[in-house]
Amino acid sequence: MSQIVQREYRSNNIHPLKFALWVGIATIIMMFGAFTSAYLVRRAAGNWYEFRLPDIFWLSTAVIVLSSLTLHASYRAFTRGVERLYKGLLVTTLVLGLLFVVLQYAGWQAMTAMGATFTVNPSSSFIYVISGVHAMHVLGGVTALIVALIHAYALPFKPTPRRRLRFELVVHYWHFVDVLWVYLFVFFLVQSP
Amino acid sequence: MAEMTKVAVDSLDTLEEKLTREMGYDDHFHEHHHGDKYQSNFLTTYIFSTDHKIIGRQFLITGIFWALMGAMMSLVFRLQLGFPEADLAWLKPVLGKWIQVNDAGIGKLDPEFYYALVTIHGTVLVFFVLTAGLSGTFSNLLIPLQIGARDMASPLLNAFSYWFFFLASVVMFLSLFLSTGPFSGGWTAYPPLSALPQASEGSGAGMTMWIVAMAFFIVSALLGGINYVTTVLNLRTKGMNLWRMPLTIWAFFITAIIGVLSFPVLLSGVLLLMFDRSMGTSFYLSEIVVGGQILDRIGGSPILYQHLFWFLGHPEVYIIILPAMGIVSEVLSVHARKPIFGYRAMVLSILAIAFLSFIVWAHHMFMAGVNPFISNFFVVFTLIIAVPSAVKVFNWISTVYGSNFRFNSASLFALGFVSLFISGGLTGIFLGNSAIDVQLHDTYFVVAHFHIVMGVAAFFGMFAGIYQWFPKMFGRFMNETLGKIHFWGTMIGAYAVFWPMHYTGMAGVPRRYYDGGASFDSFRHFTELNQFITVAAIIVFFLQVVFVVNFFYSIFNGRKMTTKNPWGANTLEWTTPINPGHGNWPGNIPAVQRWAYDYGKGGQEYVPQYVPLREGEHDHGH
Amino acid sequence: MTALLILLCIILVGIVLVQIARVVELTAQIKGEREVMRESSWWNAVLSLGFLVVFLAAVFISSYYYKNELLGYGPHSAASEHGGAIDSMFNVTLFFTGIVFVITHIALFWFAFKYRWREDRQASFISHDDRLEIIWTAVPAVVMTLLVVRGLDAWNTIMADVSENEDYIEIEATGQQFNWIIRYPGPDGKLGARDYRLTTATNQIGQDFRDRKNWDDVIVSQELYLPVNKKVRVRIIAKDVLHNFYLPQFRVKMDAVPGMPTYFVFTPIKTTAEYRNELRKYPEYHQPYDPTDPQGPKRWEKFEYELACAELCGKGHYSMKRIIRVVSQEEFDAWYKQQESYYMSQIRGKDEDPNKGKVLDIDPPASDANAPAKTETTSL
Repeated sequence: MSQIVQREYRSNNIHPLKFALWVGIATIIMMFGAFTSAYLVRRAAGNWYEFRLPDIFWLSTAVIVLSSLTLHASYRAFTRGVERLYKGLLVTTLVLGLLFVVLQYAGWQAMTAMGATFTVNPSSSFIYVISGVHAMHVLGGVTALIVALIHAYALPFKPTPRRRLRFELVVHYWHFVDVLWVYLFVFFLVQSP
Repeated sequence: MAEMTKVAVDSLDTLEEKLTREMGYDDHFHEHHHGDKYQSNFLTTYIFSTDHKIIGRQFLITGIFWALMGAMMSLVFRLQLGFPEADLAWLKPVLGKWIQVNDAGIGKLDPEFYYALVTIHGTVLVFFVLTAGLSGTFSNLLIPLQIGARDMASPLLNAFSYWFFFLASVVMFLSLFLSTGPFSGGWTAYPPLSALPQASEGSGAGMTMWIVAMAFFIVSALLGGINYVTTVLNLRTKGMNLWRMPLTIWAFFITAIIGVLSFPVLLSGVLLLMFDRSMGTSFYLSEIVVGGQILDRIGGSPILYQHLFWFLGHPEVYIIILPAMGIVSEVLSVHARKPIFGYRAMVLSILAIAFLSFIVWAHHMFMAGVNPFISNFFVVFTLIIAVPSAVKVFNWISTVYGSNFRFNSASLFALGFVSLFISGGLTGIFLGNSAIDVQLHDTYFVVAHFHIVMGVAAFFGMFAGIYQWFPKMFGRFMNETLGKIHFWGTMIGAYAVFWPMHYTGMAGVPRRYYDGGASFDSFRHFTELNQFITVAAIIVFFLQVVFVVNFFYSIFNGRKMTTKNPWGANTLEWTTPINPGHGNWPGNIPAVQRWAYDYGKGGQEYVPQYVPLREGEHDHGH
Repeated sequence: MTALLILLCIILVGIVLVQIARVVELTAQIKGEREVMRESSWWNAVLSLGFLVVFLAAVFISSYYYKNELLGYGPHSAASEHGGAIDSMFNVTLFFTGIVFVITHIALFWFAFKYRWREDRQASFISHDDRLEIIWTAVPAVVMTLLVVRGLDAWNTIMADVSENEDYIEIEATGQQFNWIIRYPGPDGKLGARDYRLTTATNQIGQDFRDRKNWDDVIVSQELYLPVNKKVRVRIIAKDVLHNFYLPQFRVKMDAVPGMPTYFVFTPIKTTAEYRNELRKYPEYHQPYDPTDPQGPKRWEKFEYELACAELCGKGHYSMKRIIRVVSQEEFDAWYKQQESYYMSQIRGKDEDPNKGKVLDIDPPASDANAPAKTETTSL
């Protein structure tokens, strides 16, 4: 059905779906903006337990940044027509994405082990909730990566504009959740002692 | 004269075809479109459609359902307020255990259910009717049609937007039948009341379902909003630059931006509330003893929720009123046969209102215990909103000045909107000033204010839109006589319901009192007034039934549309066929050559947007 | 049965309406579209004008009828020092908005009437007028500035907290479902510490009785008394959910938030007796207080200041009423003296008493002369 709204003329050069994705990203930014503002407002009100963020979050941050790089390389390979590299890096990205989620889980375990449990104080509750909601968004990205993988392996390799657009949507979203985590991580680091 | 107009219209029709063929742009629609294969059966055409026009109608009809539900709820609690002594046993078959029949056989409304009715009435009217039913309907119907697009940027997400709304509706509807009742803590759902099932029956399963419904609703609003923003920015037809867009589109566009930026914040707030309710966190809870039970929640702040809620909640009232303003601007101009006065100022005032809507939220919280110093800023920003609002009102009035004003149901409702917006807007100047708000906060004055300015006024905008674009939706007209009865009755009736509430509010009667304040000497001398309001409310309700009957009757039996452009309007939706299919224009999409408001220009009654500028003619959109 | 009849009537009215509508449509077809438009234009224009007249008349007549409900008029004038500022702000705003309301409504409906559709008329093409638009942007801006400046001036005065060495009494209002617990500081003039974890059935607000400031605190279960012309600082807090401490006649309103005390400072300027005397001037207050007893006391005679809840707090929200009496300083002192300390009357010596077994310096003189010294008493 989408073919019937297919059109040549547009008011600007950005593909509508890509633009829609960016608007969607804006909504996610607002959501996390609200979370982090709530964190700051709540923290300023006192009665706040301080604790150090477990080191494992450094590792997960490195993993998700790396996954962004591999995905970007995969996209470069795709546009240059290097099929094996494209597929290989895509698989790597997926693995790194899943590893990130696993590491986040390990991070939560580490927090619980050091007494910063989910309910003890909003200072820790916020971290669970914010990183948890972020992890949900990463899982959404993982689903998109799986779809991209199915495209990569099930369809013949042909970098048509349509395939390229689809892949770009996945890449943009993935970079976004990566940058979002880096922001959140820096935010937590600045806030914790 | 009659003959001449007819000739002019005919020649416009041929002109349009000629221009569209020659100057409209070809998007290869013909080559790809070999009949929409999905339109072959009823289910996919009318139910699981991705056509924005069908989705718009789905939003509208679901909205009408909820409007009737909400109105009936208000009748029940108005009966309680107007006639507290009356026997409500006859409602027992409908409300069941919520009507307690005493030994004397007198049925009384349970206070718990009174609050549930008030809460659900507020929630469904604000979100399901005046957001989904108003902006959902008309953004969907009009954005692609008026900017010259085949459909939304993503028709699939658009369909999802409706189905998430439908899901939200189902969950909210089912919550009415819980044994503990639906949520009863007010549409703002302030914790701790909303967070503690021990504090109120409705805060148990009712609140859980309320949250689930709201989460679905937010997803729906976001999917819709993302689509509207993208469509307006990406899919305008050739020549349709931003300053040529009709004010409807401006309003829907800005509304969508507000929604996209504020609904996620509510989602965050509600999520944290959910964790407080079910996971034992204390984001909003601190030092609570409820029903003798000491809770071990420390460190939360209920005020935090209020900030998150009103960061959406205040923009939300503009999400409700801006589309109505856009519709009214368009309808007034078309039927005044005169350009909207000060088009540029109208656009700029929408932008100003939208911007200000994000920095005034705490004016709902002057008396909530926030730092009084901070309130100073919010007072200033809040009262600044009066300026763009005043500009809009003066411009609407000036649009009527010197016009050739055609009275019909649509234009009457637009006129009524302006009156209501003035009346309700002016009382906002009282409430926005924190000093006066000390006394008026949470009294009936507030109830009067927001019902007039965003309740009834937004409804009037919606009615104006429905009467105006009914022919575009269903290819038939609604009955004008019933429409006028509907208008005049509602106009008088709505004022009769809400105007007197100013007096009770000034006397200090608090809102959300089950007995209307009867247990307080200070508040109880309004028996007759409360009865008057209740009777007026019942009459207004039946006038809305007249509307609903007219609506559904006209879908099947209304007068048929015989020309493409019955109102003689300039905008592009009237260049589509009488019953446009999926894709809107069978041939090329017309290109736009001028702004949308060339009415009465150069001796011509109207000059549609696709007509090229004459030599040396000035396009007022620029 | 009546319900059935009413339903039948409604259905009948509905059918009649639909029939009328159909007949009108049919005659319209006979008369022709232009003729119908001419008639409709005339009728609706006249209705617009009629609506304008009736609406404005209704507004003014009802305002006059309910003038005694308007803030600052007649019986509804403020009974606190800051209340006058609120009332006058209200009236200034009413003045400006009233003018705008009348002018815009007359313009709107008069133009609609005057410029009603006529076949031989062409609307004028007026797209904008920069000068006019600047004027009507500037004028509201100036008026708003006036209102903001005045309003904020009043607001900051109203919300100012007490300063260090001011003479005031501090009382505490704790909202709970569904009543108010009012605590007075007792002779020491200080409210004792509290901790919500200490809450029990007898110690309803979790007073910490190791704090000696709590020993003389009074919990008032009947009417609460306030001295006239003396600053009162109300500490407002809630136990369970949000409440709102609302005194309509004193123009006082502030949310009660669990875990976060708020406050409101005000000075009553009219005693209950004075306020009653003022009400006496108005005929509506000469009606019997109890409508079923026409010979009984009049409304003004029974008037009391009331405390209400103004934040939805559950199903009993509407019933959180308390009576407040404002009296002269002497009467207040007399009343205050009679009040018993909650600790001494309800807790002292019971199992719950953390000071059980110890002798406190506020205990009535014991027969045992060798009572332990007060150094043994604990205080926070």
